[in-house]
Amino acid sequence: MASSSETDLRTRLQGILPKLVLSPSVALTLFFVYGFILFTFWLSFTDSRMVPSHNFIGLENYRRLFRLSHWTIAMTNLAIFATLYIVVCTAIGLTLAIFLDQKIRGEGILRPIYLYPMALSFIVTGTAWKWLLDPGIGLEKTMRLWGWESFAFDWIKDPQMAIYTLVIAAVWQSSGFVMAMFLAGLRGIDNELLKAAQIDGASNWSLYRRIVLPMLRPAFLSAFVILSHLAIKSYDLVVALTGGGPGRATETPATFMYSYTYSRNQMGIGSASAVIMLVTIAAVMIPYLYAELKERS
Amino acid sequence: MARAVTTRTKIGYTIAAWAVALVIFFPILYTIITSLKTEQEAISGFSLIPSFSTQSFSDVQSQNNYWRPFTNSVILAVGSTLLALVVAIPAAWAMAFSPTKRTKDILMWMLSTKMMPAVAVLVPIYLIFLRTGLMDTRIGLTILLMLINLPIVVWMLYTYFREIPGEILEAARMDGASLRDEIIHVLTPMAVPGIASTLLLNVILAWNEAFWTIQLTTTNAAPLSAFIASFSSPQGLFWAKLSAASVMAIAPILILGWFSQKQLVRGLTFGAVK
Repeated sequence: MASSSETDLRTRLQGILPKLVLSPSVALTLFFVYGFILFTFWLSFTDSRMVPSHNFIGLENYRRLFRLSHWTIAMTNLAIFATLYIVVCTAIGLTLAIFLDQKIRGEGILRPIYLYPMALSFIVTGTAWKWLLDPGIGLEKTMRLWGWESFAFDWIKDPQMAIYTLVIAAVWQSSGFVMAMFLAGLRGIDNELLKAAQIDGASNWSLYRRIVLPMLRPAFLSAFVILSHLAIKSYDLVVALTGGGPGRATETPATFMYSYTYSRNQMGIGSASAVIMLVTIAAVMIPYLYAELKERS
Repeated sequence: MARAVTTRTKIGYTIAAWAVALVIFFPILYTIITSLKTEQEAISGFSLIPSFSTQSFSDVQSQNNYWRPFTNSVILAVGSTLLALVVAIPAAWAMAFSPTKRTKDILMWMLSTKMMPAVAVLVPIYLIFLRTGLMDTRIGLTILLMLINLPIVVWMLYTYFREIPGEILEAARMDGASLRDEIIHVLTPMAVPGIASTLLLNVILAWNEAFWTIQLTTTNAAPLSAFIASFSSPQGLFWAKLSAASVMAIAPILILGWFSQKQLVRGLTFGAVK
């Protein structure tokens, strides 16, 4: 009798314990992160300006947000930035992965070098980029000192071109990381299949186009999802490199949200822009994460 | 996937790969070179050979008290990581070995918080920090960084724990191992590599964290990221000094990153790339 109740207790304990140890994490995440998101969500429906207010005004902030030219600029910039960033990073990343996949010399040294830009904070590596892009001391001056007098590279000071300097720096930062994703995909492809195709007389080009690239579909999908969420969230990069300038030329939704909430005391509108960003990211990420989880089970 | 290629194409690929590596490494390399120059040299055009002056380093230390932000960075990165592990290890263990119908949803919802742009929750966190006096304190930031990275820590640990075969646990249970034995003798040895990987990844993430540290610190608790950010604005023209400060800020990650490239890729892809 005593022993059976003891086992009973033990099985019950083993049943409850997992839930018990899980709860702190769930509670912390729920309360802090989701609580805060809900708070921001609520603020986006109020007339909060410098401090939070709880005066409900419906969708007014969203209406005003979409009429603001600053927001249009920020969204256009994001569209240009995200498109170029995703396409160029994927192209370079895939190329580098194909290079490294040839069992070339020094792969062990090359891989960390490719990954360094992603591992280091852009707040810090931005220092070198500011030097490079500054016409007075960087690339432009160097080229002129070397005798190419007419060389001009002042994109960072040019409102039309400044957004492309962000693309260059962002591509530099992420290409190696995308390479690692594709390399993992390439290494997962069955060698026998390729040998068979080669024996059948497939050329190198058609081998890649017809067999390798289609098999890399999951890697393409991961790269797309990860890069797009990085693009929407990008804040460090803009702040470190251009600060949103010159003028408002490189304003993105993240810097917009910051300046409207804190410099312009329009907390309601700022919160509305944050909600839009959040929804956009969620629309890209949630289906992907669900698929990721399903695949593994 | 590797195929037989001719030696000539292979040499071509090798040269191309190394050339790209040089381009990628150049900004980092040039920061290191510039840090060894004098201010005069730093702004007088491109040169790969510095005068190996350590002036900038000692200037940064004497004028800006470099050790304070450095110590803060170490405390924040290590402290928040350990704290996150304490909370996350049991949670990940529970989800990996006693999954329920809702486990996946819980994981999803936890991880989805990582997609959120940090600016979106700045208002409430800023207000809480102001009201509780946590502004510009190490303890406040340590807790915050722990909360920010907790979802990714749980997720990473979960994907590592999932790789531990459940049959081993069943076998141990059949052999009469108690829950305590199970955890100490079976689970822990197999879980240590995953935990170490997660720890490494999270230290890097916390070390690089710039948004929150810039917003919520002034001088007292400011780690290196905030230190560099404040350095570049008022003294924007002192390239050599700024470079020296940057080199000191990235040196630990240059070393850690070399050993943890795999974990980094895995963490940043939310486990999609092993």
